[in-house]
Parts: sequence; C-alpha cells; structure tokens
Amino acid sequence: MGRSLAGRRKSASEPLRLRKDGSNRGAMNRRLRNALKGLNAPDVDRRRRAMEPFVRETFGMFIRYLYRYLGNEVECEDVLEDVYGDIWENPDRLRDIESQRQLLRTVYLYYMRKRLREVYRRMNRHLYLAQKDLTNLTAPELGLLDTMSQSELKEALGKALGRLKARERRSIELWLDGMSVRAIANELKTTVGAVKMLKFRTILKLKKMMSEYCHDQ
Amino acid sequence: MADMNRKIQELLSDYAGALRDGSLPVFLKSLTRQEGKRLTCSDEFWEAAEVVRVLNGVGFADKAVTADVGLFASRVDANIASRLKKSKSSPRRRTTGSKSMTKTRKAEKPI
Repeated sequence: MGRSLAGRRKSASEPLRLRKDGSNRGAMNRRLRNALKGLNAPDVDRRRRAMEPFVRETFGMFIRYLYRYLGNEVECEDVLEDVYGDIWENPDRLRDIESQRQLLRTVYLYYMRKRLREVYRRMNRHLYLAQKDLTNLTAPELGLLDTMSQSELKEALGKALGRLKARERRSIELWLDGMSVRAIANELKTTVGAVKMLKFRTILKLKKMMSEYCHDQ
Repeated sequence: MADMNRKIQELLSDYAGALRDGSLPVFLKSLTRQEGKRLTCSDEFWEAAEVVRVLNGVGFADKAVTADVGLFASRVDANIASRLKKSKSSPRRRTTGSKSMTKTRKAEKPI
C-alpha cells in the first residue's frame, strides 16, 4: 500500500515531458493503462484475464524490441511467450509504470533479459567466448540507444545518416537493403575487406552521432 | 576454409550479418579462442555492436513476419494455464520426471 502511494506521489510531483508540438511522447493509451491495472490485481484469474488486452497492446512493441537482439521471429515469439508468463506470475515490477518507454525499459531489465540469457546459456560450454561477453552480446545492459523508442531511433538514425559522407551512407543503406558484403563491394567497386573496414568505421561514427543526438534530446 | 583469425572489423561484419539473418548461434560457434579474446579486449567492437543492434531493429524489425496477435495471446494463455496446473499439482520428488527402473519395479504389485 505504502509503495503504491509513494509511487503516486512521485508521479504527481514529476512534470510530464512534452514534445515541442505539445504531445507527450511515449504516453500510454487508456487500454494499456487498464490492462496494467488488471495485471496488478491480487486475484489470479483476474490477472489471467488482463493478460489478453496487455498482450494485444504490447506484442508489436515487445517483439520489435526483441528482434534487435535475436534477429529471428521464431525465437522472438518463444522468448516473448515466456516473458508474458513471467509477467503474469510476478507483475510487481509493473506497478508504477507511467509511460511506454518506462514499460519497455522495465520489461527488458526484469523479464526479457533473463530469458534472453537463457537462449544461449546452454551453448556456452562449446564456445570460446567468456560468459560475460556472451551475456553482453545477447542480453546487454541498457545503453543510451537502447532506451530510445523505435520512432526516436529512426529519427536519430535518419539525421545521423544525413551527416555521413556519400560512400559511408551508401554502404550502410545497401546493407540495410539486405545486400551481402560481397555485393556491396561490387556495387562500390572495391574489395570485401575495404567494405568491412568502411562499415566498421561508419558504424563507430554513427554511434558517436547518435549519442550526441541523445544528449541533445 | 573459413578464416580462423578474423580482425575486429571482420568480426563485427560477421556479427551484423548473423544478426540480420537470424543466425547468431552460427556466428558464436564460429569464434576461435583468439577471436574470443580479441572481442573481450576491444571496446570499439562493443560500441559498434550496440549500433548494429539498433540498425537491426530499425531496418529489419518492421519487416519481420510475426504471428497474429490473437493466436499469440492464446499461446500465452496456454502457457499460463500450464504454469497454473504445475503450481496446483503436488510437488514432485524428482525434477527429471522419470523414475529409475528398480523403483518402478518395486512399486508394481505382483499379479
């Protein structure tokens, strides 16, 4: 009881972050808010009934987020199924959620990460990769970019791509079109090794630009 | 034969390709001991890997073909039902769920 009251007080004292056009980016719609309320009900059956609207409201957002780390739809669905099961079983972490961004962050930190680690945990016996590195590769800590929403990332990436040199931008665009490194090398009339190096340097440049964008925001 | 001593930029390129194609286990298995150590020591790789994941999300997540949300919701409900059933059933002695042959024989009544 005390916890929820404290949560309410905190939210009341915090000003809502408004965009330049006046709207609140990442604010939750009413259905999602109601579903979250239902998830925190003490009654097991009520929580179970609340799962369906919660899944309907969050499935797209969660699966796109998971796709970043797995790149495979089937695995994403398997992991997400367990994530929803864990949320139903222990929804305490979702008690004082105020925005979609906070929801995504909380779900990743407390539910998704654990499941993502489990996907590759068994493989580690046969790998020449330290456990810590495997975790960092498959279920990393939340970086600055990870906390941004899909639309914000698209915006930031668009701006960053616009600031790159033509050849650098072309290499990333071709890669995003699904071309292989060899095909990109043919397109840019260079070697495979040169394309790999170009991509690596460009990605580091993008990281710097996007981090600057995050700080500005 | 595949290159067994890849440089950092090659490793990143292969990681990005594996993530895009949904074959991360193949990349992980392809790493040699030296390459694993090289990854551990390279800050640049980890910085770039973060952007690669973002690119993967922005560039390909929207194109992913996922199940119908209604069907998926019923999958989740089935998962919950199975968890409920497990929690309601009495705790089992063995986690593997299989009894040893000798114990099974002992439990069987002679005809």
